[in-house]
Amino acid sequence: MFGRARSRGLLSALGMILLSLIAVFLPAGAQQQIGHALRESLLKPFVEVHVAITQVRSRARDYDILRAQMDSATGFMANHRTLAEENRQLRSILSLGDRPEVTYIPAAITRQTATGSASVFRVGVGSQQGVPPFSAVVTDGGLLGQVQQVYSGYALAFDWSHPGFRASAMTTDGFNHGIVETEQGQFREQDRLVIRGVHFLSELDPGTEILTSGRGGTFPRGVRIGWVAGVAETRAGWSKSYYVTPAVYPGAVTYAVVAVTTPVPATDTSVAGTPVDSATAGSP
Amino acid sequence: MTVRVATLTASLILVHLTLRVALGLGNEAPDLFLIAVLIGSRHLSLGAGAALGFGLGLVEDSFAMSSFGATVFALTVAGTAGAQTRHLFVGNSWTFLICYFGLGKLIRDLLAWLASDPAIRNTFADQFVFESPLLAIYAGVVGTLISLLALRGTLRG
Repeated sequence: MFGRARSRGLLSALGMILLSLIAVFLPAGAQQQIGHALRESLLKPFVEVHVAITQVRSRARDYDILRAQMDSATGFMANHRTLAEENRQLRSILSLGDRPEVTYIPAAITRQTATGSASVFRVGVGSQQGVPPFSAVVTDGGLLGQVQQVYSGYALAFDWSHPGFRASAMTTDGFNHGIVETEQGQFREQDRLVIRGVHFLSELDPGTEILTSGRGGTFPRGVRIGWVAGVAETRAGWSKSYYVTPAVYPGAVTYAVVAVTTPVPATDTSVAGTPVDSATAGSP
Repeated sequence: MTVRVATLTASLILVHLTLRVALGLGNEAPDLFLIAVLIGSRHLSLGAGAALGFGLGLVEDSFAMSSFGATVFALTVAGTAGAQTRHLFVGNSWTFLICYFGLGKLIRDLLAWLASDPAIRNTFADQFVFESPLLAIYAGVVGTLISLLALRGTLRG
């Protein structure tokens, strides 16, 4: 009797282990649905508390820092107020097409520390606010990462330290292009950003600023990624790779904007839009 | 499973969610899901222990963008093994408990690592030279303290 009960228990345990292996090999869509269902039911109160704590922390940010950032932004806007019009006129003279319009949606950034969620963060806006998958997540420092999964009220994104991160990049003068990706080190702390595929004859000095080039249309053009730190690899006669010091350290970010790129109608000649005021663009 | 053990297991789950999800603590908080599985499963049948691990693994993996299921697999095996240990190991001394929780954590991390996507998981050296051994010691100490303090007189064997 006892033996039969035990063998029944063993069978059910083996069944559970088999189920767990099925969970590993489920299609990504099914896995995302299960995760979403759990996050929106059982875990929702805990997630809400985490979002509230993060918002309180970010609101308690030093007033002087915010004031300095606002002063810099005001000065920048004052100096560049006529640029949009000049740009429009020049593009018209050169018969260039319009650049895609970019809308910036402010969002609170929260991180989970569960196993398997390294490099993943939660963005406080989703499809309800018009965020499509693969949009860029940008901070005042530069590019933070990319949205991957979008749900009605939030989205999940990964930062530049994720092995799947790729961004087409260029130097500020636009002469040198490449693809920025993460190079994994032996230890997590040794992970570095690398720009690959730069022309072999190029010489990028340490400190050269690297921006998104906008190629492929995923990321808006001109978002800072980082600065060249040194040569990583040389492929004789073909290309060079350079280490890049990132502009943004993901762990410190609590607030960002999601850059949503929308195609501009042929008759519209406006250039890239300005960031939407966080007070009017919906709460994060 | 006694009411005391069930209450302790439920409390550990609640505290884990509070520390890791609500407060956003990382490895500063011990792996209380694993400790809950290892404590609970010693008082459950094989199937129920595996089911407990499976359920908690699903909750843990709900934030995993890649390698979904790795923790589900690891905790299911840990729950099964935990239920089996009461037939194999008798005793509730602190040396046994430290080894039980410490080894449990190492094996859980190893299984999760094996089931993770090789393209995105940490390198073996990164995971098992420093991180996992330290976390295993942490889980061993915390699990032992919880067991000795909360389950005094109820541990089987």
